[in-house]
Amino acid sequence: MAESAASLEGVASHGPPAARASRRWETGGRLLRHRSFQIGLGLFLLVALAAVFVPMLSGVDPNKLSMRTRFEPPGSEFLFGTDNFGRSQLSRVVHGARLSLVIGSWVVILNAVFGTLLGALSGYFRRLDNPLMRLNDALMAFPAILLALGVTAVLGRSIPNVILALAIVYLPRTARIVRASVLVLRQTEFVQAAIAAGAGHWRILRRHILPNAMAPVIVQLSFLFAYAVLTEATLSFLGLGAEPPTPTWGNIMAEGRNYMREAPWIIAIPGGALAITVLALNLLGDGLRDVLDPRLKIQQ
Amino acid sequence: MKAWMRLGSVAAPAVLVLALASPALAAPFSCPKKGGDLVFAGEAKVNSLDQMASNTISTRNVAMNIFESLMTRDENFNPILELADSMTESPDHLTYTFKIREGVKFHNGKDLTTADVVASFDRYAKIGIERSNLANVEKWEAPDKYTFVIRMKKPQPTFIEDLSSFSVPIVIIPSEQRDADPLRLEPIGTGPFQLVEYVADSHVKLKRYEGYKPNPHFEERTGFGGYKVGCVDTVTYRIVTEPGARVAGLETGELMAVEDVPTKSQAALKNNKNVVLLGLQNFWIQIMLPNTSFPPTDNLAFRKAVQAALDMDEIMDAATDGAYRLNVGFQYPGGAFYTDAGKETYNIKNKELAKKYLQEAGYKGEPLILLTNKDYTSMYNAALVVSEQLKAAGINAKLDVVDWPTSVQRQMNEKTGWNFFFTGYGTQPALGALATMKFFTPPQNVYYPKDGKSDPDLVALYAEMSNNPDIAGRKAAFAKMQQVILERVYAVPFGSLTKVQATRANVKNFKPFRIPRFSNVWIDQ
Amino acid sequence: MLRVILHRIAGAVPVVLLVTLITFGLMRLIPGDVSAALGGVSSTPEQREQIRHNLGLDRPYYVQLVRWYADLARGDLGRSIFLGKGVTESTFERLPVSLSLSAYSLIITLLLGIVSGILAALRQNSWVDQAAMIFAMIGISLPNFWLGLMMIVLFSVHLGWLPTGGYVPFQEDFLGWLRTTTMPAISLALLQVGLLARITRSTMLEVLRQDYVRTARAKGLPNYLVVWKHALANALIPIVTVVGIIVSLLISGAVVTETVFSIPGVGQLLTSAILNRDYPMIQGGLLFVALLLVGINILVDIAYAWLDPRVRYDGG
Repeated sequence: MAESAASLEGVASHGPPAARASRRWETGGRLLRHRSFQIGLGLFLLVALAAVFVPMLSGVDPNKLSMRTRFEPPGSEFLFGTDNFGRSQLSRVVHGARLSLVIGSWVVILNAVFGTLLGALSGYFRRLDNPLMRLNDALMAFPAILLALGVTAVLGRSIPNVILALAIVYLPRTARIVRASVLVLRQTEFVQAAIAAGAGHWRILRRHILPNAMAPVIVQLSFLFAYAVLTEATLSFLGLGAEPPTPTWGNIMAEGRNYMREAPWIIAIPGGALAITVLALNLLGDGLRDVLDPRLKIQQ
Repeated sequence: MKAWMRLGSVAAPAVLVLALASPALAAPFSCPKKGGDLVFAGEAKVNSLDQMASNTISTRNVAMNIFESLMTRDENFNPILELADSMTESPDHLTYTFKIREGVKFHNGKDLTTADVVASFDRYAKIGIERSNLANVEKWEAPDKYTFVIRMKKPQPTFIEDLSSFSVPIVIIPSEQRDADPLRLEPIGTGPFQLVEYVADSHVKLKRYEGYKPNPHFEERTGFGGYKVGCVDTVTYRIVTEPGARVAGLETGELMAVEDVPTKSQAALKNNKNVVLLGLQNFWIQIMLPNTSFPPTDNLAFRKAVQAALDMDEIMDAATDGAYRLNVGFQYPGGAFYTDAGKETYNIKNKELAKKYLQEAGYKGEPLILLTNKDYTSMYNAALVVSEQLKAAGINAKLDVVDWPTSVQRQMNEKTGWNFFFTGYGTQPALGALATMKFFTPPQNVYYPKDGKSDPDLVALYAEMSNNPDIAGRKAAFAKMQQVILERVYAVPFGSLTKVQATRANVKNFKPFRIPRFSNVWIDQ
Repeated sequence: MLRVILHRIAGAVPVVLLVTLITFGLMRLIPGDVSAALGGVSSTPEQREQIRHNLGLDRPYYVQLVRWYADLARGDLGRSIFLGKGVTESTFERLPVSLSLSAYSLIITLLLGIVSGILAALRQNSWVDQAAMIFAMIGISLPNFWLGLMMIVLFSVHLGWLPTGGYVPFQEDFLGWLRTTTMPAISLALLQVGLLARITRSTMLEVLRQDYVRTARAKGLPNYLVVWKHALANALIPIVTVVGIIVSLLISGAVVTETVFSIPGVGQLLTSAILNRDYPMIQGGLLFVALLLVGINILVDIAYAWLDPRVRYDGG
């Protein structure tokens, strides 16, 4: 209830499609001048570039065992040290970054597509609203991590299953935000005018409603990326993410737990990388929210 | 082993009377200090306290302090009487007559009589894991309240060795528990400690059983038997799976005794005056066991490929952080039955040979599921190294990592999608060759033969091991059995592990043993 | 007020029904045979069939569903395979542990979150504001299990100040309870502190801009009184709704935190149930937590209506 009122002004101010193109540049400029967006983008690029290029350049297999170089602390030879199997932690952590980003992106894409679809259907077609939103409420009644655990327990351990589980868990949250915007937009004059002019439902949704409803969705998706990365790490840490020895951050930390006394770097580094990634995404989300949708409250 | 062999040779000519009424040379043990809470940290979750239906160390760690049996083993693993006052073997080796000790009480206050012993044997015969121990028994009966008789179908020279085994002992439970389902036993025993609280994934709390009556035939605790007294008021058995947390807890005194100190931490602890390290060589044989009724491990050539690919030094080094010895088979050098039969199958580390076997097996990249657990680091590490070595040989190995109780549970069912189960054989090698080989015979058959059809060669060799009255013949049968198991890859033993336990310096008389014993241990405040 | 309460409870009925359906459906999707796990060592196929029969798993789904609801109506959530006890019984046994940890964590959250939020709002754009907001940002970004592990490494392993894990009931030994729950409560609270600080700050800023606050200031009322009486009272309303979210975050966070610190609460019960494939326990536990959260949300809504009389329920 509260957020539909809050987003009312934010959404309405976007106006009809004509003025959109020129404003896009302006928004981009404002984003780039935004402090936390800058920092967030910088950190995120750092993680993303490391994830893409370090494995390419070094070519070290993250699962390669080397009994002679076990428990090497971080230093010049091994930048992030080695673990109890002598595996290069640098290689494992950057592969972990890659997996985190891939999983996070998939969850975001699935949510962008299906969350928008569900939210739009629910907000636009009033007859669908009640059943869809009750289902939404029911799914949201489960704490995210528990539902994700439950779904992976059913589906089994693998990266695609983790993506699916996370997408299912966060879908209701995305759908609800889309629905709130659509509900408001549906009542605006230009939409009512289009309906009166006899435009088809799909056309109205596609041309008039969804483009204007995107701002809160984009903000939500950037936060969602952060939750997805965090929850994936939690799932693997608890032993229900991708199967070991896949070097996800959660798996590395779960293994490193046994050696936290002698080799604390095995947990510290991937955890730090995870924190930096989540921080970057949260800062990006803050920037996006301030610029795109200033009235939006912090969403869960 | 030796002492038992001596008993065996004594038994052969005439009647064996095993009444250990030792002359009272010294006063029996009494606690120098009483009281306190002994906090012990175990590494694996306790899957169950049903000592008849669980064969894991984590169960024994707690349950062996709660329950007692007619017979058990002493400090050197020789059979001794525990709840039995005396045992008489008839000259024809067909009847064993036990007198049970009078005045023993269960934790619920009930007096122990032979009705309870009969009920315990009844339940064990129905659901006990090693119920094959009773296969050769014709019947058991209780002529009176304190006399219990076992009648054999035919003589079995190894029967007492089986009966006193603490692998999955026939613990004596109150007769009301006769029909308790497997893993649903109410943990009421006659031991020096009784259960207060059991939270499966967190801790177990025990308290001294005030009604406990020590065995008057002994002066000190020995093995699981002897003269046992509870000195501490309570025992808190906590499950602390991270080695680092165990060591930290020991250093701060929050934990008073721990199972398994990692090799890397030992140097630091050696210099700590408040901590005593207790090493146990040959604690267990690190091992993996195939499921031979599930592809691809149903194929002998495939299993041989796995065997050929492994480098045992690397596996054991990672599993133990260096605290190991390479070891062929199921006994340790120096043991009476030790043999290196089958050594040509051990530590081959030949990828090319492995690939040749894979071709022979017609292997097409089917996944190979390695079932291991997070609780025992050594098993997890071994599985990870094995998986990398197998991948290098072209096998599509996948790890399935679960909790220790879950891996045990899944391993009990060949249809739960696993190919190799990772574990440690500790108790059985210590109990002797017979106890170890029992794993490869019905109803246990840890290698899960297809359709439950046991390998007839193993069944025959085991019968020979059990029934040959001549010790040399039994040894030869054991060597042959080990050879067959290794050649047909019904087990892949990696080597022997040294375990280091540790206590705070003020914990006294905690002698290292396979399973922690909380009786006769006191805390110097 | 009574109408609000009744209305809210009636509104929760379909959600509760769906929640029970989802839990039921989820567990029927699990591959593999539960009876094998239940049967234990060397159980024969006949014994397993018997177990399936006893559990009603050989019946058609609609019969199982009816039975599921009949059991639910009696408060019976089934029997845990691993613990060998009733699911309801084991959950209630562990509830005080989780509740005491959550309550401790909630106190930390409210104190730190509201205080830093107010300070930041009162000194907008000062270093206090910036420091508070950076702290809040870090709070919502640090993975709580990682924070917990790092605290264990520092305070338990290296400094030896606090135990690495375990739990002492507060009614037995309050000091022991504090020693075992302080690190978990802090690591659990941090995310919520961040959220609450940010929300308190933004609502306070809004309220401080309102006319009546300006008037109060203009009248020369001391600043603390303005903040305390006027600003905070009004800022409290949106904060209460957030507390609902916070409690649900605490409960999900506790799942991981309890595992990291080996605290035998509901969270650890559920994670080990999932790892142990203890299906009745997973099913019952999930349902229990979901219903708990539905209940908490109802309470929050009622509190919200009570604090802000403008809120009315007209349906929709």
